[in-house]
Amino acid sequence: MSGAVAPASLAALQGAFRDYLLGRSNAFLAEVSESDRADRTTLLGVYHEGYALRLIEVLTADYPGLHATVGAESFDSLARAYIAAHPSRHPSVRWYGRGLADFLAATSPWNGSPTLGEMAQFEWLLGEAWDAPDCVPAVAKALIALPAEAWETLSFEVVPSLRCLTLGFEVPQAWGRRAEVGPAPLVVAPAPAPVPWVIWRPDLECFYRSLEADQAALLAALVAGLPFPELCESLVGFEGEGEAVARAAGLLRAWVEAGMIAGFHR
Amino acid sequence: MRASRLAADARFLIPGGPPFMTTGIGFGLGLRPEHYEEIADNPGGVDWFEAISENYMVPGGSPLRWLDRIRRDYPMVLHGVSLSIGSVDPLDARYLDDLAALVARVEPLWVSDHLCFTGLDGLNMHDLLPLPFTEEALAHVAGRVQRVQDRLRRRLVLENVSSYISYGSSQLSEWEFIAELARRADCEILLDINNVYVSAFNHGFDAKTFLRSLPASRVRQFHLAGHQHKDSHIVDTHDRPVAEQVWALYAEAVRQFPGVPTMIERDADIPPYTTLLAEVDIARRLAADAGRAVAA
Repeated sequence: MSGAVAPASLAALQGAFRDYLLGRSNAFLAEVSESDRADRTTLLGVYHEGYALRLIEVLTADYPGLHATVGAESFDSLARAYIAAHPSRHPSVRWYGRGLADFLAATSPWNGSPTLGEMAQFEWLLGEAWDAPDCVPAVAKALIALPAEAWETLSFEVVPSLRCLTLGFEVPQAWGRRAEVGPAPLVVAPAPAPVPWVIWRPDLECFYRSLEADQAALLAALVAGLPFPELCESLVGFEGEGEAVARAAGLLRAWVEAGMIAGFHR
Repeated sequence: MRASRLAADARFLIPGGPPFMTTGIGFGLGLRPEHYEEIADNPGGVDWFEAISENYMVPGGSPLRWLDRIRRDYPMVLHGVSLSIGSVDPLDARYLDDLAALVARVEPLWVSDHLCFTGLDGLNMHDLLPLPFTEEALAHVAGRVQRVQDRLRRRLVLENVSSYISYGSSQLSEWEFIAELARRADCEILLDINNVYVSAFNHGFDAKTFLRSLPASRVRQFHLAGHQHKDSHIVDTHDRPVAEQVWALYAEAVRQFPGVPTMIERDADIPPYTTLLAEVDIARRLAADAGRAVAA
């Protein structure tokens, strides 16, 4: 048997390089040629540190409110912890930060500050709305033109960008001030009670607004595809039975005019 | 598309695909969101734009609206960063479907990505990691390039990357690897002049030898960008103007590969649009000087 060592396969080299970047193994060092310029660790450091810096940059761009809330130094620690726990599984960095809210809600020490998970959730959903599929929202004129009997079976479809969430802190209000705080951390106050919010994008600009409890119930029923009579029933606990139909119709019209409704089905 | 299906002069016309010219479309810039409005308001500053494919492989919203808007006024090329043509992972069918959909939308002059791998086992490093220049890697990449070309129904254009390390197991020089890949896979070359300069410094090879060794008929496009010199090595950062030494190498390149479209990449510390237009003018002047020298 010859003493020559077979060269590593392409798969083995790529695996060793990947493991070096993820901090799993230094075996790749042995595959790298000596350089007259710098030692191998320095040169590999361009890739190793570049991996983290690139993903931190992505998270910073996707989570400006979270960055303002915790400050640059803590954000860097938080991002590095997320990067260590979440290797990227999508070819585009656009989707890299998807798991950050869950990570913050589940991981010490950040789970001790629920504002952080809520801020991350709000920002991620805003981002989802921002480049969600386009759609031309329905117009009120088409709704008004429907014959009365159509309302017996009428159901609605929301625009593809619409997202709902409930927040225990005044995250959207704080998010609106994120650029004004400078080096001081962005303060996120607790809400007196959890508040439902809706995010949507009628055209290019994203909007968000808080919802009353009856509005949230109606919107949840609408998103579930329930027909108009059942939408009215979703309001019965909130308004008198005689007022539910008028309230549902009024809210639907307002939502159509706000560009939240993509269309309706008879 | 396989080599056998292409006539010798098919670089001017891909059967089943849109016709396009290899030369003469001039000078372009990378399309960056910071400049969208200025580009739309001031048409004519450059001849074409290069869009980063992944930035527009999204369902909808503002990025695609701007892309469509600017595409109305300018030819475009698509430049990807995530194809991972050298990875031993299977080709990502969903990524290719999304890219094919974007190609159908943009009708680009050509589609490029990098000669590198970006991940393994479904994990993405989001970096342009160099390949070993081995026969095994060459055969592997050539087969994948042909499959991508079949899927996109057009030749793929692959860019030489900046690198900071080399493999002990490499059997070929980078230029030998690229030239043979272009021949074997019937693909084309995006020659990044800054990357040649950076890698030549980092690995101690002669940049002009690199240029001289490439087949002129395969060079589809030039890239120019800035870098950061760290004394012991150079890092490809795209965050500053093109370095003087890179302009000098570009002057060599335009003599050797006349008429090849050129564009300038800036990906960080993005300056005003007019600053980049001034850099494009330097490229125009150097290319014109080379053209006059040849004519004389």
